[in-house]
Amino acid sequence: MSGAKKIALTDRIGVAAIYAIGLLSLALLVAPSLIVVAISFDTRSYVSFPPVGFTFDWYAKLFATPELIQAMWVSLKVGLIVTGMCLALGVPTAIACVRGRFKGRQALSVFVLFPHMVPGIVLGIAILFAGATINARPSIGLQSLAVACFILAVMIRIVMARLMRLDVALEEASANLGATRFQTFRHVVLPLLMPAIWAGAAFTFIEGFDNISVAIFTHGHRDRPLPVELMSLVQNDNTPMVAAVSAAQIALSVVILGVVSSTLGLEKLND
Amino acid sequence: MLDIIARFANGRGFWPAIPAVAFLTVLMVIPLVLLLSFGFSDIVVSRGVIVSQDFTLDHLTKILGDRLYLLTFQRSINLSLSVTALCLIFGFPVAYLYLRSGTFARRAILIAVIAPLLTSGIVRTYAWIVILGGQRGIVNRALLDLGLIEAPLRILNTHWAVLIGMTQVHLPLMILPLIAVMTRHDKALDEASANLGASRLQTLRHVILPMSVPGIGTGATLVFTLSYTTFVVPQLLGGGNYLNAATMAFEQMVYSLEWSKGAVTSTLLLVTCIFFIGLFTWASQTTTRWIRQEGVA
Repeated sequence: MSGAKKIALTDRIGVAAIYAIGLLSLALLVAPSLIVVAISFDTRSYVSFPPVGFTFDWYAKLFATPELIQAMWVSLKVGLIVTGMCLALGVPTAIACVRGRFKGRQALSVFVLFPHMVPGIVLGIAILFAGATINARPSIGLQSLAVACFILAVMIRIVMARLMRLDVALEEASANLGATRFQTFRHVVLPLLMPAIWAGAAFTFIEGFDNISVAIFTHGHRDRPLPVELMSLVQNDNTPMVAAVSAAQIALSVVILGVVSSTLGLEKLND
Repeated sequence: MLDIIARFANGRGFWPAIPAVAFLTVLMVIPLVLLLSFGFSDIVVSRGVIVSQDFTLDHLTKILGDRLYLLTFQRSINLSLSVTALCLIFGFPVAYLYLRSGTFARRAILIAVIAPLLTSGIVRTYAWIVILGGQRGIVNRALLDLGLIEAPLRILNTHWAVLIGMTQVHLPLMILPLIAVMTRHDKALDEASANLGASRLQTLRHVILPMSVPGIGTGATLVFTLSYTTFVVPQLLGGGNYLNAATMAFEQMVYSLEWSKGAVTSTLLLVTCIFFIGLFTWASQTTTRWIRQEGVA
């Protein structure tokens, strides 16, 4: 009897300890972002916590800083170009990898997913070298190409995962009912793929907008994207304006999280 | 446009993948080959364009014989392994919490884990400057107020700041694969174990932990490779003087413009990184196989 009690007690203590660490980790994941948001409204001109007042001044200053606005536009452009390229290149490739019936299909999957193993810093430096060899200087174009190359695998993988779960019988039924290949794609496959395509687009856009590991080597000298600007701002600026920029980015990521969770569902995202 | 996509997409052949294969060849294969070749050359750069390139083994032999490089790569590997271990220690309980939670709590946990992933790494690192920074930093203020320390601790711009910040920034990458494998397995297995009289700790040890091995493998690979190759966290939290392999490559490329050295450093970074990915994958597969054979799970 006392043995069973002892087990029950150690069990309880052990599980409680694991829960405690879990809750601590969750708090550590969320708290820093909340602190940054709180600081962005502080009235003092240096960064400290907790804030002593409430003001929108730092946001006003943010929008009155032309370098930051310019950087935001650059990042927006890169994000859209990267998303467009990854959609155009990634969706057909995913279909070939899953539905294709040809020799070397496995090899194709390995090849197109390989860039995911290449660290961003290495790819960025390699593309900078390649650009320098053919006289293509760093620019918005080079940055977009480089980031698209870096993130294409993610788009392919998301679409592939969804496609593997789609029943081939649906496509066969459509063909048997007399649909052309285009009709089958347009009315059967594409609608079923849309959630994955949306999720892939959201992720590639974020990467295009936020990537620094590749972008820092390939961005144009006059067209500094937001992460590059932010990196030097964090190193050189001690005012809560940096917190305001950060808070704005956090708000953006919350919006994108909402889009992804309503299109694909958070649980499916992680499968 | 749709018509073109459809014609590309509906074939059973290789050709829908041709554009992507061409794209990756031009932007990945050729640049990586060039990267390798640059390590064997003497390069003169002017305004971002290569003026001359001559074959030499100087850089390679110099770097391979330089103790500074050896120490720097060692530091990188130590740091990344520590971060991976810490992420496992802090991440596993979160996944366990998720497994034991109801629908609402599960949603909340997923949001807490995924939201940081969608936020810029620079922003998340910046938060740690605020928390750990000088006298006004939150940690120092709290410790001073509690009377635990007399003078503010120097945490920012040390190895510890890099370790703490990197662990928190990369934690979601460990938690998500763990949640994925844990929930994929049948809950019935778990319940059967409880019905057979196993305590929750015994179930954890003999059922949940063994079945999480592939998730630990994936998570460890992701955390390790990112910790090994990011320059953002060490640059911002380590101050200018914290040197690991990634910051070294970054500085050679951006500040000192030593492209040949940068080429060798990043080639070494790539090769060692792929070696560790292989090692982690092998370890995870071997462990999984061993568990199946022994019938632990």
